[in-house]
Amino acid sequence: MRTKFLYMLMPFLVLCMSFSFGQEKTISGNVTDATGLPLPGVSVVVVGTTNGTQTDFDGNYSISASVGQVLRFSYVGQKTVEMTVGASSSINVHMEDDAQALEEVVVTGYTSQKRSDITGSIVKVDSEKLGEIIAPSVDQALQGNVSGLTVSSTSGTPGSVANIRIRGISSITAGNDPLYVIDGVPVTNGNVGTSGAYSSLSALAGLDQNNIASITVLKDASATAQYGARGSNGVILITTKSGKAGKTVFSINSTYGFQNDAITGPVPLTAANRLELAAEAYFNDGFYTSKDEAMTDLLAGPFAEWDANGRPEARWDQAVANKDAIIQQHSFSASGGGEGHTFFASLGYMQQEATVIGSDFERISGSLNFSKDLTDKVTFSSSNQASHMLQNAFLETSAYFESPRTVKYFISPLLLPYNEDGSYNLFGGSLPNPLYLTENNSSKNRLTRIVTNNGVTYDFAKGFTFGSTFNVDFQLYNFRTYSNPTYGYGEATSGDASQYDRTNVFYVFQNYVDYNFDLNEDHSFKFKLLQEYQSNRRYFLGGDGQNFADEGLQNLDNLGTPTGVSSSFSDWYVGAYMGLLNYSAFNSKYVLDLSYRREGNSRFSKDNRWGNFWSVGAAWNLNKEEFLANSDIVNALKLRASYGVTGNALIDLNQYQSLFGYSADYGGEGAQYVDTFGNNDLTWETSHTLDVGVDFGLFKNVVSGSVAYFNRDSKDLLLDVPLSRTTGFSSQVQNIGELNNKGFELDLNFNVINTEDLSLSIGGNLSHVKNEITKLPVDPNGEERTITTVRTRIETGHPAYAWYMPTWAGVNPDTGVEEWYVNGVDGATTTNFNEAEAVFQGGNAVPTTTAGLNLNFKYKGFFLNATGYYAGGHKVYEGWHLYLNQPNAYPILAFNGYTSLLDRWQQPGDIARNGKFTTSATPWQRHSKYLYDADFMRLRAVTVGYDVPSKALESIGLTKLSIFLRGNNLLTWVKDDNLLFDPEVDIDSQNGTVDPGETGLETPPSRSISLGVNINF
Amino acid sequence: MKRIFNKFNMAVVAAAGLILGSCTADSLEPTLSQNKSVEGSVTKVDNLYSILKGAHNTLTGSGYYGRDMIATNEVRSDNCFSNGNSGRFTTQGEYQYNANTGFMWEEAYEVIANANIVINTDVTTLEGDQAYGEHLQGAALILRALAHYDLLRVFGQQHAGGNLGVPIVTEFKGEDLFPPRNTVDEVKAAIYSDLQTAFDMMDASYDSSKTIVSKYVAKALEARVAVYFGDWSRAVTASEAVIDSGLYSVIGAGSFVSSWATDGGSNVLFELAFSGADNQGSNALSYIYRYPADAPGGYGDLQVVSTVIDLFEDGDVRKDILGYQDGGTRLRNMGKYPDTATGSDNIPLFRYEEVILNYAEALLETGGDALTQINLIANNRGATPYGSVTKDDILNERRKELMFEGFRFDDLMRTGETVPYWGSTQNSLGTLTYPNDLFAYPIPIGEINANSNMVQNDGY
Repeated sequence: MRTKFLYMLMPFLVLCMSFSFGQEKTISGNVTDATGLPLPGVSVVVVGTTNGTQTDFDGNYSISASVGQVLRFSYVGQKTVEMTVGASSSINVHMEDDAQALEEVVVTGYTSQKRSDITGSIVKVDSEKLGEIIAPSVDQALQGNVSGLTVSSTSGTPGSVANIRIRGISSITAGNDPLYVIDGVPVTNGNVGTSGAYSSLSALAGLDQNNIASITVLKDASATAQYGARGSNGVILITTKSGKAGKTVFSINSTYGFQNDAITGPVPLTAANRLELAAEAYFNDGFYTSKDEAMTDLLAGPFAEWDANGRPEARWDQAVANKDAIIQQHSFSASGGGEGHTFFASLGYMQQEATVIGSDFERISGSLNFSKDLTDKVTFSSSNQASHMLQNAFLETSAYFESPRTVKYFISPLLLPYNEDGSYNLFGGSLPNPLYLTENNSSKNRLTRIVTNNGVTYDFAKGFTFGSTFNVDFQLYNFRTYSNPTYGYGEATSGDASQYDRTNVFYVFQNYVDYNFDLNEDHSFKFKLLQEYQSNRRYFLGGDGQNFADEGLQNLDNLGTPTGVSSSFSDWYVGAYMGLLNYSAFNSKYVLDLSYRREGNSRFSKDNRWGNFWSVGAAWNLNKEEFLANSDIVNALKLRASYGVTGNALIDLNQYQSLFGYSADYGGEGAQYVDTFGNNDLTWETSHTLDVGVDFGLFKNVVSGSVAYFNRDSKDLLLDVPLSRTTGFSSQVQNIGELNNKGFELDLNFNVINTEDLSLSIGGNLSHVKNEITKLPVDPNGEERTITTVRTRIETGHPAYAWYMPTWAGVNPDTGVEEWYVNGVDGATTTNFNEAEAVFQGGNAVPTTTAGLNLNFKYKGFFLNATGYYAGGHKVYEGWHLYLNQPNAYPILAFNGYTSLLDRWQQPGDIARNGKFTTSATPWQRHSKYLYDADFMRLRAVTVGYDVPSKALESIGLTKLSIFLRGNNLLTWVKDDNLLFDPEVDIDSQNGTVDPGETGLETPPSRSISLGVNINF
Repeated sequence: MKRIFNKFNMAVVAAAGLILGSCTADSLEPTLSQNKSVEGSVTKVDNLYSILKGAHNTLTGSGYYGRDMIATNEVRSDNCFSNGNSGRFTTQGEYQYNANTGFMWEEAYEVIANANIVINTDVTTLEGDQAYGEHLQGAALILRALAHYDLLRVFGQQHAGGNLGVPIVTEFKGEDLFPPRNTVDEVKAAIYSDLQTAFDMMDASYDSSKTIVSKYVAKALEARVAVYFGDWSRAVTASEAVIDSGLYSVIGAGSFVSSWATDGGSNVLFELAFSGADNQGSNALSYIYRYPADAPGGYGDLQVVSTVIDLFEDGDVRKDILGYQDGGTRLRNMGKYPDTATGSDNIPLFRYEEVILNYAEALLETGGDALTQINLIANNRGATPYGSVTKDDILNERRKELMFEGFRFDDLMRTGETVPYWGSTQNSLGTLTYPNDLFAYPIPIGEINANSNMVQNDGY
């Protein structure tokens, strides 16, 4: 049955196989290690066939083979043994340690390296760790597990993109996203969504994390050198799972759980609160002589119906919540291999509901990784990932009145969600009832993503390998919206709908030659020459319109009035040549890494297209020196240093040319306008990074870790240089400005106890980065051209996008009026906002300090794992406070607000956070009252579980059964009590659709508890 | 078998090598699918027309005449206040703006940049009717003058006790990318000069649409600017040029209200084209003037000061422009730009009635027959004709005729009036006496930061 399934999964595999039949007999025996202990799980394969098995718990095996055939015994960390079947039907094997193999091999890009040969800053996170966070997109799992890397999710809506920053911000206006590489091929992994108003959809969510073997994060110039031109922001390498020769292993991995918001968030005011505050406001403004008088009038007016109905409370926050939202994922995989081939195949399903009504995510995925030795010199390999995602998105990036998350704070509590008979209350006004809308309107993001990566390697001479890879990343995206004609915003237009298609086609070709040669036993060299070409094309098509004949019709064909149609095409190309040299002397005692990459990018003009990037890295493994060779204390000690130049080209396309745009129309005719200022001199932004570090292992790795210091100077920044607007443009991209990031990273792991029955390890990482702008463009008078907004300022001597605004001086206890410091710091105060000077408020929205803590405990079959994350040193600004968190007309007369407003000035002498309430609407004024320390700590994952002992499993034919309970984001601690929203906010502007560093009305992260099971057989 | 694989593999190697070898050398050139290079793509007279339409399109943006230009002036006048329903125009209505607030500076200079491309093109190098090319250049000069005038009346210090105007820009990507401010008089002179050149270059026979600036718009704008600065005899001459063209007429009382829902009336010299497909949506001018339904909803921030209705006598059709919402409690502009849902009404920028009013005022100031002119308006509105006329009569008639069209603030300014202003419940916040720093808008912070030759207005 199992074998049959295998063949169903891979029909074409059969073609590649050769079968040989002979005189079969059963061979059995026992496998032991160097110390004579039995070795379970050793792969035993009849060479040249698909016939294979594994040793059992006691190291015993039995297999059918013919005389003359060869049995191959292999096991991680042991030298592979081959035995020819002779007359005897018993073959016992004694395996020896393979010191070379025991050392972990880390994928570093186009190549893999032994741990001890690595000269740069690299962190590897394995699949087990990644699996601790149950989320559609695997980047979530990096939070807390990689020093120097910050992850902030832009929204808790399933499938949304996250901002990842490695070692701070390297660029002011060019992109700061790291480069993603899947199985050696650079890919594009950002938001595929076409509308900035709706939930984003990450292309990365197309990868099932059950198919990912590991993620390696490359941080410094030496580590990222292989991708030098695009390495300034760091590189994230994703390695997918592959099979191992031996018996086919089937694996089932399933979790099912429930989620709620990770933080409570602000609590909306009740109708009773509203009455009290409104009465007070009318009294404060002098409309009434007493608060009671005002209340009486209100109860006879807008509150009359509410009063007569027994003062019901709407509790919109509860009405729109999707309590105990389901999150589930299931994956089934088969992996194995035989002589000359390996495979890994999987099917996966994931479903996650959002914690608010109307939004969810679903993905079905499959993968097939296959490798075959076509001859003893030629190997073909293919890895394929395909998935289809459906995300029910919603309007969430601003205060859209149709969004349930907006409604819960903005809608008047006097409007009830339901009528007495339980039907939806379809009231008028600008905020329609979201309960009706989520049922009758829709907005769907769909993405089909296929990543197929095919390569051939050919060992054409001794030490020489030629390889060629062709990768296609194909993304087919569709977005559609529909508003019903009966109720809500679609009513005015008799229903409206839109539909947009985007097709992204990315190709990568690579050709390379590897040459490895050992001069003698002590000096070995590895060379790699590589040629790469990447083509990226995006096709877009969409239309929208209004006026449907009937409800429920959603396609553009049925529209009465088309209102828009658009299509576009864009492309960009990258070509590169690369050379690598790795020299290792005296069994890796000394290691030298050199790299050079020349890359051309279509974003720059012909003359400035190509850039040169390089790195030098060196490592000294002191533990291999004689004086430490026999040390009982130190078992590993490596000093490493690297320096290099990496690049960044993440700017909009075609910025170098001065262009006319034609997207305008006037009076129903096409029109043109000058669209791009242009700059023919535009070229690469570069980062010059020094990285030094020590990696160590003490007391036989009871204590291990590393310390690193880095200093990265980013130069010739691709900066949107502010222009005098009299040019008709606000900015022009130029290579100007400098930025520095420096800091340290510390990784530590402590294996407290490690016995057969009991193990306990505690690990952690701590990193700190200081970001500072060191040079900005000047105008002809030598004055620096700073960039100032109502919240932030870009100026030398400060971090990029540093918070900059007037400083709040509190509420005057005598008058109840809020005041600001005239000089922005201290002393005299003013009630006139425009008299208060804006000053730097310290820091920006990017954490300067991050830390992660891991705990792993195991006693016999029981296990407990926990991961925590801390980020701090940054500040976030509260969005929407004008309407929801200020003592003005909005929260009490127009919209609604938070209960934090109850802390307000009522009479002289009151010390309160909020001034006296007024019935006036006040203008937007942004100042330090709403800027909060965003330091937070989060218990990211806790898993408790039980591994059923192998002995008990054998009888039912299983090799592994693990049952566990997993909690994500169980606890969140936030430093500033006034920060009511989740401190994880979008730090990117998402092309101007959101204000970076501001809390918004997006879905917060969710807290989930899931039950899971892992079965192998 | 093995040999076959080797051959196969060598073929793959060779093929891949070929692909790469050819790719990297030449295939890094991006495609321009939606754009064209500025250099070398203006080859026909029709290209000038296309750029001119692009400049008109910039005028229609909600940051310029599509909403803010008109709404900001009205909300700062005694016609309107902001009720803060959506939080829009509270800052402007309460005179709380600062350098971060931002207003039409960028948009106006965008219009100027595109106009300059048209103006500075050598028509003799273009294919097509070169006389038409010159006509289009004249139209571009009018837009440049209009944008400079708009910048001047918003940011100039003429009502704030200073004499700084705005930079005059006559070249796209010219020598000086960091221009200082010209004086008010210099800007005025440049506007007059552009308009005269435009009028001389243009041939009215090429004017075919009211949604593209035409020859007599040059004179109408000149009259407007002349009235603003009190250059009365220039205002007389310029107005007469428009009147003498015989192309336009005052709309009759019976059609006044309905004319706002129809495009291209006989009284319109120039209007900006809007359509449902433009989809201004919630950023439409109409959407800021009223709620989509009677109850508070949408934006509808610009509410009319409740006493304004008393300006109109019964029978004056202009009273019908006003109306109430929210159960009869909020006075509204219901009649001008009436399509609230999609904002599809064209927005007239030059009406013949304004020309007549400019003419009447200029005649009054220069001792001419103002009475005939002002009664041309009153008689066509169902209002009592004047027996005699004073300056106040003319200003009052202007207020009634041009209400909600963005003229009132400038009229208050040029006559040195004290300006009252209100909070969101029409609660008085006081008055501002003339002159006042707040009467000159702050230069946007982005300009100040980018260009140290730029001098900020006092008080910001």
